[in-house]
Order: sequence, then C-alpha cells, then structure tokens
Amino acid sequence: MKEIELVGLDKKVYIEKLNNGLEIYLIPYDNKKNYYISYTTRYGSDINSFKVNDKEYNPPLGVAHYLEHKMFEEESGIDPFTFFSETGTDANAATSYDNTQYICYGNKNFKENLRYLIKFVNSPFFTDENVEKEKGIITEEIKMYRDIPDYKLEMQLRECLYHNSPRRIDIAGTVEEIEKITKEDLYSCYNNFYSPNNMFILIVGNFNIDEALEVIKEELKDKHNKPSPDIITKPEQKEVDKPFYTLEENIDIPKIGMGIKIPREIFKQKDMELELYLDIFSKMIFGPSSTFRERTRSNKLLNDIYTEIETTGDYIVYYLYATSTKVDELINEINKEIIAMKLDKQDFERAKKVLIANEVKATDSIERMQNCIHDDLVRFKKLFPNRIETIKKLSFSTLKEIINKIDFGNKCTVKMIKKRN
Amino acid sequence: MQYIKKDLGSFNLHMIQTDKFKTITLRIVFHSPIIKEDITKRLALSELLLQSSNNYPTRRDLTIKAEELYSADVYSNTSRVGNYINTSFTISVLNDKYTEEGNMEKAIEFISDVILNPDVKEKGFNKEKLEVVKNNINVSIDSVKEDTVGYSLIRLGESFDKTSPVSYRMIGYKEDLDKIDVNNLYEYYEKVINNDYIDIFVIGDYDKKDMLQIIKKYFRFRTIKKKKASYELKPKKCRSRRLIAKETINNSQSKLAIACPISKLTPYEKQYVLPLANIIYGGGTDSKLFKEVREENSLCYSIYTSARRLDSLLTIQAGIDKDNYKTTLQLVTKILEELKRGKFTEKDISTAKELYKTSIDSIEDYEYQIINEYFKEEILELDNYKDRYKNIDKVKKSEITKVFRKINMDTVFLLEGVEE
Repeated sequence: MKEIELVGLDKKVYIEKLNNGLEIYLIPYDNKKNYYISYTTRYGSDINSFKVNDKEYNPPLGVAHYLEHKMFEEESGIDPFTFFSETGTDANAATSYDNTQYICYGNKNFKENLRYLIKFVNSPFFTDENVEKEKGIITEEIKMYRDIPDYKLEMQLRECLYHNSPRRIDIAGTVEEIEKITKEDLYSCYNNFYSPNNMFILIVGNFNIDEALEVIKEELKDKHNKPSPDIITKPEQKEVDKPFYTLEENIDIPKIGMGIKIPREIFKQKDMELELYLDIFSKMIFGPSSTFRERTRSNKLLNDIYTEIETTGDYIVYYLYATSTKVDELINEINKEIIAMKLDKQDFERAKKVLIANEVKATDSIERMQNCIHDDLVRFKKLFPNRIETIKKLSFSTLKEIINKIDFGNKCTVKMIKKRN
Repeated sequence: MQYIKKDLGSFNLHMIQTDKFKTITLRIVFHSPIIKEDITKRLALSELLLQSSNNYPTRRDLTIKAEELYSADVYSNTSRVGNYINTSFTISVLNDKYTEEGNMEKAIEFISDVILNPDVKEKGFNKEKLEVVKNNINVSIDSVKEDTVGYSLIRLGESFDKTSPVSYRMIGYKEDLDKIDVNNLYEYYEKVINNDYIDIFVIGDYDKKDMLQIIKKYFRFRTIKKKKASYELKPKKCRSRRLIAKETINNSQSKLAIACPISKLTPYEKQYVLPLANIIYGGGTDSKLFKEVREENSLCYSIYTSARRLDSLLTIQAGIDKDNYKTTLQLVTKILEELKRGKFTEKDISTAKELYKTSIDSIEDYEYQIINEYFKEEILELDNYKDRYKNIDKVKKSEITKVFRKINMDTVFLLEGVEE
C-alpha cells in the first residue's frame, strides 16, 4: 500500500491496486463521524458504441444511466435502499458522461455497508419484467430535467458545439430511445464496462483503513476482467457545429449560453496545470471581482452568471451561462470583453490566493474532498497531491501565452427568449 | 466541542469552540415576527448591504476585499421560519493558522462594516445600487415558474390558506417592490437594526476571551428587548372536504403538491414522533411513498414528504405525468389511511429511528448544521441534539399511529403540464 501526502492539506491518501487492476483510494479523517464510500466505473454516456470479438454493439442512448437504475435490482428481492436504511445509511448512484458511481454515506455499520455496496454492484440481476418497470420512472426523470429552462439551454448549447460527440445528448437518453432498452443491452454493457480494471473504490471520512482493505480484498480479489472492448468513436470537427441559435421557450427572463471550443492539442501544459490556468483566467475576466461583472451589473445587463470548464479528452470547452433582461446587449458586452481583454497581474495573484484558500477549505467537508479526488481519478486517472505547490508556481507570462493560443471566435451562442404567442 | 451562550444585552452571543474545522464562521441573525408587506423590503435590504458599504464603494471593492482575506465567503439569506422572518449574514474565513495573524479579526471587522456602516447619505441608501437590487428581485419574481417544484409549493400554500404566513411568497411582491425607495428602505434598516432580535454565532478554533472582545468591539446595537412572540403558527383546522386546485403550465411533467395540516400536536409529538412519521411516510428512499408509488407502480421519479413542525403542516410533493394524477392521488391517500390504521412494522420504525440518528450524528461534521442546531435549540426550545439522539429510541408504535391520525389532507394542488 502506498501512502501519499496531500501537501499543505494535512491529509493522506492510501493507495492500493489489486492484481486484477482495481484501484483503491482511502482518505481517513479522525475528526468526522461520517464516511462516504464510492464504487465507480469509468463508463458513462460518452460510450455508446463498442466492439468485442469483432461484434459491434450500439445500444440505445441512455443505456449507462438505465443500467445504473437497474443495478439496484437484487435476485434476493431485498432492495439495497432498504438494506442501507436499516442502519441509517444513505445510498445513491449517479451517471455522468464519463463515469457511473454508486455511493453509500453514513456513520454506522461501515464494514457491512462496504461489503454490501460491492456485492450489489457486482451482481446484476435483470429480467424482462424489472427492466420494463423502470421505463415509467426514467421517463419522468427525463421529463423533470427537460422542464428546467437552464437544462434545456445547456442541452441546446451542447448540440451546437458538437457534431458527433455523445456529449450532444442527455446522459439519460431520450424517452423514445429508452423504450428500446432490453435486459440483453444491460448485460452486454455491464459485462464489458464493470470490470475491475475499469473501476475504483474511493472512501473518504471516518473509517479504519485496514478494515476497508480487508473487505475490499475479500470481495474483489477473485473478480476477473473481461477483455477490454474497443470503443468506437466518431471524429469530432474542430469547428463548432452552429455558432448561433435562438431558442423560444416558456420563460419570462431571457438567458444565454456560450461555449468556446478549444482543441486540447494546442497546449503543451499538463492537464491539471492547464485547468488551473483556465480557471484563473475565468475568474479574472468573468469572476465575482472582475470589472466585467461590476460594469454589466451596474448597467443592469446582468442578473446571474455562471462559468464552467469541461474537458472531454480532445477538447476543452469554456462555458458561460447568464440571465439578463437585455440579452443582446449582454452578448455584445461579453464579445467586447473577449476582444479587448486586459489581463492584470494583480488580479492574477489574487486569483491564485483564492484558489489556494479554496483547496484548504475543501478538505473540511468529506463530500467536497470526495468530489475533487473523484473528479481527478475519473478524468485524469490519477491524483494530484501537490496542487497547492503547483498553484504557487503558476506564472503570469504562461497565462498570457495560453490565452493567446485560444481562438475565441470558435464559439457558440445560444439565446433563450420568451416564446411569442 | 464546547458551547457557551452569553447574553450581551442587545444580543445573544453563541460561542461554539471546536477544532474540527479549518475555518472560523460567524453568522449574525436578525429575526422578528413576519409581516407580509415587509418581505420584499427585507430581501432588498439583505442584498443591498452586500453591494457596497461606506468603506467599499462598489460590489467589486467588497469582493476584492473578501478575496484578499484568503477567499472569505460572505453571503446573506432571508427566509421564513414559522411565524418569523430571519435574515442572516455569514462570513466564513480560514483560521489564522492557515493564513496570517490577524486575518480572522479583519474578516469580522469587514462583515461588521458591511452590516453596520452602510453606504448611506442623508438618511438614504445609494440610489443606483438600490436600482440594481430591485432589478434583480424583479427578475427573480418574473422567473418564479422556472422552478416548478418551488412554484407548486407556493401555489399550494396560497390555495391552502391565503391569510397564513404559509402562503407568503419569500421571493417578494412586485407591488411592494415598487414602493421601495432609498429613504424608506433606510428607515426599515434602522428598524431592523434597532428592534429585531439578534443572535450571533461563532464557530471554530479560537480563544474564547479574545473572541468575546472582538465581538464586543465590532458589534454594538441598541436593541430593545420585548417578550418574544411564538415562532409557531396557529394550526389551521382541516377542511371537511378536500380543496382541489389546478393550474396549467407549458411543461412535459406535472407537479402534485398536497398540504396536510396536523392538529393538536403535543410538544413531545412535535419533537420526537412527527420526524419519525415523516420518514416512514415519505422521508426517503425506504419510505412507503417511494416504495409503492415509485418502485412498485412506476408513477414518478421523485416523491417525498416534508414535516414543517412550526407550521403544523406536512406537505407531499411528486413529479408525475398528468394522466397519472388520479391514480397517484388515490395511492398517496390510501397509504396515509393505512398508516393511520397502523399498517407499518416495527422494522419500519427502527429504520426510521436509525435514519434520524444518522442525521443527528452528522450535525457535528458541518459548521452550518451546528449553528442551525443551536439556533433551533435557542428559539424553538428543542432538547439538545444529544438528548434527542437518546430519547428517540423510546418512541412507540402507538404514538406514531396517533400522530398519523392527526394528519389530514386538506388541499391538493396540481400544476398540470400541458405541452403546446
């Protein structure tokens, strides 16, 4: 077992890898009552076509998410939610573009809960009947999200940004597609992507590392890998699909979504370093203390703003979402800001200070800690124990170099306005 | 963890010392009985104070200052708690151990400046800043239907009892917003500062004596204390026939919301029995509603109940297809009737007790939950959470059944999704 210190954060990570490839990351806390266990496969809605032994699989869209729901089906008939609730433990699961995680969260019965979590994720039980039963539930889930204007805006923006990427489509699929899902689809996806060498267990909080390792080894050391499937992807164009789009919806206050599509290959920086630079850039230009916000807010052009950076492997997308009663004027302001961008060294140093402080603060909550570490393990397949040192070393000149390389013209703007009657 | 409460005349200081967190969090809560016409003013005030102060002329200046204090989080919140309206201002800052000597005190000075040294000239707030805030409130009022769950609960409250604070829109009202100007808002500010009940909570790893001096230095009020009105609303009698209210919305999903007034709960029932009844009926993924309505009948994705002790109300919320409205309502009603007849097991009770205990156990993991807990204990005369943990085990099935019998469906609101 390896022991790695998260430098400057008073925390250690214990790492083990089983012979079958399963990775284990343990971050114990001695001043918390709760523990947070996640068992994750690096399989999500990004994969919708693959090949095994020359046979191609193209399951209906939304299958990874459907599979997540149906993993809670047990041959014994005992519902995992019931098992966990009996000791006051919360359980849940979440499917994303690039992973599916099963979690349990509580402060009692650690060993048995960990064992049960592994067991239920390792024992699929799908029947025609139980697969059919889920359609109503997931249809309502899809509809619930589809009614949220911000969600619709995001989906439309994704469609405009990408030509072929699965990120154009809702993680849960569509009502029409999920109708087609069969138990055979679920088994083929499960068998190919829930293999130990594609999975990891992360535990954060109040637990004993020896107990955790003992249970994980007992439950998983004999689990074998299936041959890794070849994932079929369609090449994605560098340019955005549609630069402008107007969406008429049942809303009163207009919204915009913007996405700048940047090819990963133009940068030589390592993943984490690059993300930190982009994050700092975002704070400087559109962040809470930016001159842009002060100006647009004072002119009543901006009511709400939110930015996000997404990496998909080949592309980095910088997202900006905003609400404004004068949406066209706001779009102009954003475009002007991008063209006449002034990067200030003082703002840069302050943004670094904020990032470092936020790293330290995040360790106070086991959920935030889990989120940060989980995210790195999914996207980069490794930990970054020296984040604070890396942030300290970021230089203003490198930031300018990075920003100069970006083609800010390769962007989409989606406008959501009130539907005309 | 050590808790000390000090009555400093114009406010109560609650000092919670713990080494569990790397931050020190200070929250100041202003509370007074709720008046419908004042809600919008109060919202405007709590947002306006974070736009600028006498020492920091713009929102950007304020934000830069907070960032320089090693990314101190500063925010305000206004909400209804039973019969009261509470406005809190919070600052959370890294302990000096992780920053530099004196940073924490500067942060407390900063939040005091924001609240007590506002951007005011000639008994009026800054006009431009107020316009920005009014525009924001206007936008949030106009966007009310975007959050369909929240909107269905607002409409449920209004259908249930128009005169009760349960029906108040905590996003504010346009007619009240229009009346706000720089002078009358300043008058209201003075009223809040001078008349509201005030509680200050400080949690983190600090020296008690030093903290007391710091707080006394930066927070001075002339609050006149009166005898407190109760936080609890008077329970409303249940209608003899259910009221059914509907509204359509251009959406794919419909939202069902049901209000059930709870009659004549004893203090013991409110504290110990109602939470368990809520968990059993619709409090989580092992509840009767989740199992029967979602898992067995595939009628929804989301369904849950909330017990609002101070309002003597239990609400039920579900996202459904409009064609399933009748079936869902019948099922939800049938399950409640069964619970009234005692159709739940000892295992259901022990599971609910375990879930309850986990939530109590979790309190100490989060500074905000600890503050909330002590605030609740202060104003609602709740037993200490450690005692609640012990006492919950004593609750008997007959007591839970008795509480279920006090829960009756009064108003059903359907926000019917109709796709154009």
